[in-house]
Amino acid sequence: MLEVHGLTAGYGGNPVLEDVRIEIGRGKLVGLLGANNAGKSTFINCLSGVVPASSGRILFEGEDITRLSPKSRVERGIIQVPEGRLVFPDMSVRENLLLGGVNATARPRRAERIDYVLDLLPRLKERIGQAAGTLSGGEQQMLAIGRGLVAEPRLLMLDEPSLGLAPRFVQYVFEIIDKLHADGLTVLLVEQNLNLTLRHSDYCYVLERGRVVVEGVSAHVKDDPRTKSAYLGL
Amino acid sequence: MDELLQALAQGFLVGSTYGLLALGMGLIYSVSGLVNFAHGDFFSLGMYLCFALFSAFALDPYVSLVITLPAMMLIGAGVYQFLIRPIAGHHLLMVIQLTLGLALLVQNGILMVFGGQFERTPSIVESKLVLLGPVVVRMPHVIACLASFGIAAALYVLLRSTDWGRAIRSVHQNAKAAALMGIDVGRVRMLTFAAGLGLLAIAAALIVPGTPMHPSLGLRYTVITLIVMVLGGMTNFVGIMLAGLVIGISEALGTIYLSDMLGMLMPYLIFVVIMLLRPQGLLKAA
Amino acid sequence: MKSEFFTVLRSPVFWGAIILLALGPFVLPSYYLHIATLTLIYIALASSWNIVGGIGGQISLAHSLFVGTGAVLSSALLLKLGINMWLGMVIAALVSGLMGAIISFIDFRFRLGHLSFALITLAFAEMGEIIVIGTEALGGASGLFLPKDKGDLLAFQFGSGAGIFWVMLTLAVGAILINLAVLNLPLGFYLRTIRDNEAAAQAIGVNILRNKTIAMVISAMFTSVIGTAYARYLTFVDPYQLASPVLTVEIVLIATVGGLGKAFGPALGAVLLIPLGEILRGKLGGSLPGLHYFVYGAVVIAVILATPRGLLPALQSRLASWRGSAKSEAKKPSIAAPGA
Repeated sequence: MLEVHGLTAGYGGNPVLEDVRIEIGRGKLVGLLGANNAGKSTFINCLSGVVPASSGRILFEGEDITRLSPKSRVERGIIQVPEGRLVFPDMSVRENLLLGGVNATARPRRAERIDYVLDLLPRLKERIGQAAGTLSGGEQQMLAIGRGLVAEPRLLMLDEPSLGLAPRFVQYVFEIIDKLHADGLTVLLVEQNLNLTLRHSDYCYVLERGRVVVEGVSAHVKDDPRTKSAYLGL
Repeated sequence: MDELLQALAQGFLVGSTYGLLALGMGLIYSVSGLVNFAHGDFFSLGMYLCFALFSAFALDPYVSLVITLPAMMLIGAGVYQFLIRPIAGHHLLMVIQLTLGLALLVQNGILMVFGGQFERTPSIVESKLVLLGPVVVRMPHVIACLASFGIAAALYVLLRSTDWGRAIRSVHQNAKAAALMGIDVGRVRMLTFAAGLGLLAIAAALIVPGTPMHPSLGLRYTVITLIVMVLGGMTNFVGIMLAGLVIGISEALGTIYLSDMLGMLMPYLIFVVIMLLRPQGLLKAA
Repeated sequence: MKSEFFTVLRSPVFWGAIILLALGPFVLPSYYLHIATLTLIYIALASSWNIVGGIGGQISLAHSLFVGTGAVLSSALLLKLGINMWLGMVIAALVSGLMGAIISFIDFRFRLGHLSFALITLAFAEMGEIIVIGTEALGGASGLFLPKDKGDLLAFQFGSGAGIFWVMLTLAVGAILINLAVLNLPLGFYLRTIRDNEAAAQAIGVNILRNKTIAMVISAMFTSVIGTAYARYLTFVDPYQLASPVLTVEIVLIATVGGLGKAFGPALGAVLLIPLGEILRGKLGGSLPGLHYFVYGAVVIAVILATPRGLLPALQSRLASWRGSAKSEAKKPSIAAPGA
């Protein structure tokens, strides 16, 4: 579904990503692991188009999207749930969800999608009129995921969804991801949380200083000694 | 007593137009975080466009809006696209200086074309008076006041309950997240800048009948507008209209009961005091 | 870099240029002498503003208050109370310094951000103009006329065009030297630290109130002195010219074009813009009033778009790379970009 070839990107001449090659099959849950500053967020922002690629190609369902605007990518169903949630704090939960479906592709079925999301995440229904900024961290993460789902993703990319959450919320987030995966959604999960990600994903890539150092079926990646060293920076 | 009522009415009417001026600035600030120090000069430009259309074709200011509104919006889009956008992301001070340069450019462009004498643009309703009990007010002021509140209300509804309004607010609250929603942030900013100048075109048409104009008054309008916007809490449109009324009324009362000088000082004094004691504005920012 | 102040003080080029300039009145026709004098005035004004606005990174829009105080107060003291203008100049400078200190205190006490600081100082400047215009003792809207300059030094009179030219040359050189001195004193280091990151400066123990206040008071007092001399040069003290915030805008833009925070940046801006504006005004002012300011505006916008840090830093790095030894120092942005 998504193929990335030789992707290099960075800010002001210092490449953060170098020659990254990744493939995500339809319906798969793919994990992208790495320590802080390994280039995970830059990678996901490259896929969304908010950080430009300096070289390489990104193919989505066979179409070259490397030079498309963020807007066109959202319209093709490439949806990012950003790190730190980035909900719109002064808007209500409902308004946040409405904005999730503001793009031209999702707009016609937006009302149904919101109903679906509220069934999936009943906590949001209770908070529907509340300003997003007043929600707890876990609730904001629910909202960020819900907002992404309203956009009718074909590829859902989650950037560190468990970061800074209480353990029971981490558990809950992964349950939701599993459920979406089981329903057939293609997911790219960017995480620092090694064990949880390996347990839930089909296939994993490990980034270290902007390069893929390990890849494979999740069970194998777990046993590869280079995974640990990439994490510990050895 | 009648004098007090007269002053209150006068201040209220003038204040509502101050509010309208500040709405345009607040709209621009809310999506771009940009304080436009050329705002008052663009307002002057709107008034002089009315004047030019009146001189050339005897168009009434209210009618000439058909031309000035799109013209000003086009100017706004161009200014954003070619001047503001290239330095977006630079330090705030840089952007302030750029708009100061723009202010000088517009002000003296007007001076070059129209000369340095005071001008007036009449309207058919200009000399009509309206009696409200013991208070006498001029028709253009009443029209301007009603229109200001109407536009403020329309803008409020637009921002609260349309996708366009939500897109604007989302860009203000988190531009990156807005881009991830598939919103074209650059385009939203350009359109709001255009809309901000469009509001100035409307304000100009409303205020111009009977108001003397001079190229050098731009900076003073900018300052009054800034004062009203800051008092109103920058992006709170209810607060901005309220602040417009506070400034208009205090100016009118000061002029009648104190002296011309103190009346003119009043808005600045109130501004400095409130800025220091309540920097978030009269109302809590929405 | 560290001893730039002494390098310049010892530089024969610097003093040679000043001596050459001082010979100006003997060769220049009076029209060009007038342009040169005006240029020197604006070099002095923009360089003084640079201490606060460039080195300190605070967009003060209050400087018309200090020019106005220097010009109007000293003239009013002379005309209404017969106080010698030298003394008037000192009194006005003290008043300006006090106003500067009050503004700094307000800035610190209420933790104003950049924007609030610009707005509050602009409000003060507007109030200043309104007060001068509304106060008969200060000349009101019609302004003040100083007595004819008969060259009586004791009465703050400098005689011919040459005399006032030398006064302005002294003030301009003085303002640049103050900039150099500030940049090379701990004060300049503290100011730049505060400008680049106020929280970090506070964390390492920089006294923010003290440093900002000293910078503002120096700038205000020197600006006031220039204002007094400017009034003497013009003879007619017009509040719409000397107490108007438009004057501040002009000063700020000259400094920006030249290069903020550099000792010679504002001077470069004035040398480019003032003669350009004056010649345009001389040639076309009759038929097209406003043209020279229009050109100012256009130049300012063009410079900000082309070299956001101003002309001097751009020229320096161009020169450095031309010499094949691009200093990395010159490439650093002089103003820290805001976080994303």
